[in-house]
Amino acid sequence: MRYFALLIAFLLFGLSSCIEIIDDLTVKSDGSGTFKYTVNLSSSKVKVNSILALDSIDGKKVPSIDEIKLKIDQFVKTLDAQNGISNVKAEANYTDFIIKFSCDFTNVTLLQEGLKQSVMSMTKEKSIPELEHNWLTWDGNKLVRSIPEITGKKISELNESDIEQLKKGTYTSITRFDKVVEKYENQAAQLSKSKTAVMVKTDTYKLKENQDVLENTIYLTSGKN
Amino acid sequence: MKLKYFIYSAFILNISLLFSQKSEHLIPKDAVTVFSINNINLLQKISMDELITYDFMEEVHQELFDGSTTGKTLKDSGLDFDQKLNVFYGKGLKNEISGFSFGVKSQQDLFSVFDDFELIHEDYHGAQVYGSFFNNLIIKENSALLIRVEPTMEFIDEMTDSIWYARGNESAFDLYEEDGGDEGEIMDEEFDDENTDETEFPQASDDPNEKNYYELRDSVQLVIQRDQLDSILHELFVKNENLVLSDTRFAEQIQHNSEGVFYMDNSRNLEKSNGLWYFQTVLPSLYQDIKELYTGNVILGDMYLKDNSVEFNIDARYGEKLGSIYEQMNDSKFDKNVLKYIPQSSTGYFTYNVDLRKAYEKAYEVIMPILSDEKNAQISMNVLTIELLNEYINKDALFGTYKGSMFGSFNGIKKIKTKKIEFYYNEETFEYGEREAVAEEDMPVFTFGFSIDRNDIPEKVMKHLSRLTSKVKNMGDYWRMDNAILDAAPVYLINKNGLFIITNDEDLAVYHSNGYGKEALTKATAKKAKKSGFMYGSVDIAQTISRFPTDILNDKQNEMIQSLKGKSGKMELTSSKTDSNHTTFDLKYVYSGQESSAKHLLDLINTIYVVSK
Repeated sequence: MRYFALLIAFLLFGLSSCIEIIDDLTVKSDGSGTFKYTVNLSSSKVKVNSILALDSIDGKKVPSIDEIKLKIDQFVKTLDAQNGISNVKAEANYTDFIIKFSCDFTNVTLLQEGLKQSVMSMTKEKSIPELEHNWLTWDGNKLVRSIPEITGKKISELNESDIEQLKKGTYTSITRFDKVVEKYENQAAQLSKSKTAVMVKTDTYKLKENQDVLENTIYLTSGKN
Repeated sequence: MKLKYFIYSAFILNISLLFSQKSEHLIPKDAVTVFSINNINLLQKISMDELITYDFMEEVHQELFDGSTTGKTLKDSGLDFDQKLNVFYGKGLKNEISGFSFGVKSQQDLFSVFDDFELIHEDYHGAQVYGSFFNNLIIKENSALLIRVEPTMEFIDEMTDSIWYARGNESAFDLYEEDGGDEGEIMDEEFDDENTDETEFPQASDDPNEKNYYELRDSVQLVIQRDQLDSILHELFVKNENLVLSDTRFAEQIQHNSEGVFYMDNSRNLEKSNGLWYFQTVLPSLYQDIKELYTGNVILGDMYLKDNSVEFNIDARYGEKLGSIYEQMNDSKFDKNVLKYIPQSSTGYFTYNVDLRKAYEKAYEVIMPILSDEKNAQISMNVLTIELLNEYINKDALFGTYKGSMFGSFNGIKKIKTKKIEFYYNEETFEYGEREAVAEEDMPVFTFGFSIDRNDIPEKVMKHLSRLTSKVKNMGDYWRMDNAILDAAPVYLINKNGLFIITNDEDLAVYHSNGYGKEALTKATAKKAKKSGFMYGSVDIAQTISRFPTDILNDKQNEMIQSLKGKSGKMELTSSKTDSNHTTFDLKYVYSGQESSAKHLLDLINTIYVVSK
């Protein structure tokens, strides 16, 4: 997924455009769950289209839509073959530039490992330090989470000069459970009325300034919901 | 006796002036573009650190970016400010040359700046030759030449291949492809340029005395480079050939008493154009004819520094045949209608006034005999096709639809409405759904318009298109094409008043389809545009360049825009009437602010360098 990361880096962050990212993690009591990742660039489609019309930008080749499709397909196939990962899907809308990705996992460790292996299999680099970072830990009653470090790193590389665009961009992190949430540590988080989902939302500018802004430790009640 | 002595003294003075080494005599004859700054006193206070940030200094960065220039000005660099500073560039089929020639007052000071050079020849026909890793510095008497010679990759490859195959080797690339990966990996590399760091170089051969392909190519490059430099030095110092002596137009131009002169030989640019290789190799006689057509095509210019302004007088000269086409093309009555559609608030606009019908007729007269003489089946078929088209096509309708005159304006950045998808959340579960919403994006607002006699023809096209797609709509005074720009924003077409206008400015289409009225260009400005020959342009640099969307430009255009960024003031381009020999252009740059004239001069030279490179 260095490719995937590159795609993300190029398509999303290289543009300094107004972007919307939603990461949506569902963790069941047995540790299995679903991970969904959505990137919405529809409010910057003029800019995205204008860049796709170029051969290169800042010395980097601009991939064609077909190349992007090919790489997404490759990533999906690779991830689907990973241990503990199933039902991998990617849906891309190239009119509005919305890319949705989802997969099921048997536990969060295998999810992280699967993502790491898929990224590594698509790159020639021997190691990507950002992938060593574990952004999820789960002990059955407590989930400690942040965001994948590679995403944070790419956001930190965003151009300061486009602050207004960065302030309009959003990153929403949602964590869902099949139990009721007892408490959480991130003051900016919101609890759903059903008390089974926690959402933290920030703008890309704040995230660039402080990559820990989405970090959260969520404690669940010990009884079944 | 006194008279005899006076004549003798004058003769001696003339001879010494004639033969004393001057910096311009060190410009190689292969230079295609030259900027020569006469009054380099202006530059005395420019710091070296600032100077080396310019694009035209890029070739000598390696020598200057090593701390040897820190805190120094040009004055400290040993330059002779009584001589001209000449910046030159030239690209040929076999090499690319670039560099400077300048006067030297103190070699000691000069070498405190150029401190990486080592002496190669102590006395090369009266000159000292120094070399560094990339460049060469040659000093003869009180003038110096700093030059870089780079063989073209095409020439290096050609020579390498020739030696490689002559040694009985198989194709080097097949060999490496077998060693390398599959096509997928190659594609990866193209896509991800960071991977270039990991490119695996071919292994050294078993026999250390046997070079692999890339080692051979490096050696060939080095030898060719040395050979080409030797050849240039031989021309300059043994055969006494240089641009001043080989081109009388340049020799005459460099005598001008302006702050700087500019020279660009377009005919040699054509000669060395890679795009014409087919003609050069397959149709040499046709290529010769095209070359003749371009003979004499040269751009000469003078730069004058005035109070708060820099003026360029540019003379575009051409040969008789090409000139006769230009003369006919530019013999066109100005279309006053265009002025109504350029708002006073426009920060950059141009008018271009030509008659394509006349140009076509003249070009047909000049070019067809050249093509007809060519004994080549493909060319003959093309000639026949052109002649038949000439007979059958309704030229009144064609040139009535597109006469050639046009205008364009940049009206700043405006918010345009586009559609976006937004996500909304269910408070109960934080599940989310999608809905369409209105978004606003910044869009540069451009207007282009063409003079037209046959408004009925585009009207027919639009009418039929509107039946084919719902994206094209007749709005009464104008047509609207939805999502025409980058699949997101509409474009408006105004087809009236003898003009066909394409714009993304909704305000123009909806409220000003008959022109801006009182909000259009002032009478004084309109008069200037009308009086100018075939072209007029005006740019408010701060308002236009800083807001210009560089994302949509290619690398070279971007480089040019970057070189103008941060400037303030106004640039105005006017042209004269064209005759069969030349057209003159005047470019006036009026600036405001505290920056010195020299700084502005260098900025503009840099911009022109980037454009002409």
